Amino acid sequence: MFKKIQNWFDERIELTELIKEFNGERIPARGGWAYTFGSLLAFLFTVQVATGIFLLFYYVPYFPMARNATYYIKHHVLLGNILLGIHLWGAFTMIFFLLVHMSRVYFSGSYKKPRELQWVVGMVLFSVVVILGLTGYMLIGNENSWWTINVLTNVAAHTPVIGGFLRIIVRGGTETSVLTMQHIFAVHVWLLPIVVIMFIPVHIFLIRKTGEQGMPLEYKNSQLSDDDLNKWKHPDATVPFFPDQLFKDMIVALAVFAVVYLLAVVYGAEIGPMYRPLALNFAPEADWYFLANEELLKYFPGHGLIIFSTFLVPTIGFAILFALPFIDRGHERSPFKRPAATVLGILFLLLLVYLTLIGGEPKAPATV
Amino acid sequence: MTKSSEESPSRRTFMMVVIGLISAVIGVALAIPILGEVLSPLFKKRDIVWSELGKVSDLENIEPLVPKFVPVYFRVKEGWTVNTLPRQVIVVKDITGKLYFFSNQCTHLGCPLHWIPARQKFMCPCHGGMFNILGKVVGGPPPRPLFVWVHKIENGTVLIQNKFLDNPKERGV
Repeated sequence: MFKKIQNWFDERIELTELIKEFNGERIPARGGWAYTFGSLLAFLFTVQVATGIFLLFYYVPYFPMARNATYYIKHHVLLGNILLGIHLWGAFTMIFFLLVHMSRVYFSGSYKKPRELQWVVGMVLFSVVVILGLTGYMLIGNENSWWTINVLTNVAAHTPVIGGFLRIIVRGGTETSVLTMQHIFAVHVWLLPIVVIMFIPVHIFLIRKTGEQGMPLEYKNSQLSDDDLNKWKHPDATVPFFPDQLFKDMIVALAVFAVVYLLAVVYGAEIGPMYRPLALNFAPEADWYFLANEELLKYFPGHGLIIFSTFLVPTIGFAILFALPFIDRGHERSPFKRPAATVLGILFLLLLVYLTLIGGEPKAPATV
Repeated sequence: MTKSSEESPSRRTFMMVVIGLISAVIGVALAIPILGEVLSPLFKKRDIVWSELGKVSDLENIEPLVPKFVPVYFRVKEGWTVNTLPRQVIVVKDITGKLYFFSNQCTHLGCPLHWIPARQKFMCPCHGGMFNILGKVVGGPPPRPLFVWVHKIENGTVLIQNKFLDNPKERGV
């Protein structure tokens, strides 16, 4: 019976061949576990889409109501707390593993020729996912959301020349209003997810096109020099994607999903108080992945310097990351053979952790 | 029977130009209304209203150099809604008896200020901006003194507009 169905498809579209072509990709054998982060991210994104779509059954993007709709999902919709929790913790996990994935690629030099485009597309995905996180935070519609919207649109207003216009466009007016929430909603559920959905296939297509480029440890037996591009095309050993690599991918996906699920069930999503415009002792807080940037905002006082923290440092930082494969063009891939890149990478990660930690410390006392 | 592009290079060029032109026309025709929709807020005038804050006689009786937070409610059009925006006005009387009407938003990035009596300062809970009782920056990142609401006194009543004095870039509010 199954054979018959298979034949029916094969006669028409050569399905078996097609599946073999998709699944048969050769993956370098030694670094299998390190290569699972990419598909883990694709998996987490799928989870975000699935949970997000069904949260829309109850969500209202209108400022005074949004927080109550979210509250309703959590406390009155059957198992809604789990769905909301998975969406929240899934987002956190996704941003965390994006950083892990990027670090892995950075330290193993995997962005080098011929994979420059791969890195650039990955950076697009990274930027979009961070904005997805921030807009998601705003959509909860609680007190923090309100101030996050205000603060971040004010940050955008510091962009040279177009800043003021940018803020008006994002807010849908000079003030944070019903249109602001509607814009953020459209961006969070349509505009940016569609960008991610378009760029993930490009990211994967580029892997297939550039072939079996692995981490340096895949080439221990190679006699060729590091400058020879042919060396990186021939790892010591490879395995097919299906089932060898997918097996590892699935185990990692399950482990991470279990943690996300557990966090969703045990901690759930914190919704927080309704926006009280007249509150006198409220201290807004950013999400953890934004704390480093938040901390940065404190260090550039006065009229001339604010632009460093709101525009120049983040923009230049992102520009350097985007252009990384074009800046670092050496052919060495092993982290031990290019100490400058490795040390800079470690210092940058430490700075990020440090800024996040002090950014997370309690702010000014509410009352003394 | 027309020739295929493989037989005639000039026909190939012609077809490529037509394909390009059609894409461009459709693209531009779609982009114009989309751009208009996105940029629409730039062409809308802000709804500016006057709102009553309170009697001058009451406000003149507050203690000097102790800020009094007084809520003000602006009924304004926002997009397709009409909303009441509650905002805080910090009323301060200096030693000469002059009244100031400050906004409670930090001039750095707009967080709500806290008054810390022990330090006699307004503190921003977000990035550590500090202002003294008369709105001058005394620490942290804020680039300018506290915003002052546009205000006037009519028949002994203080009226506040949802607009700041000396604010060309319309920051805050």
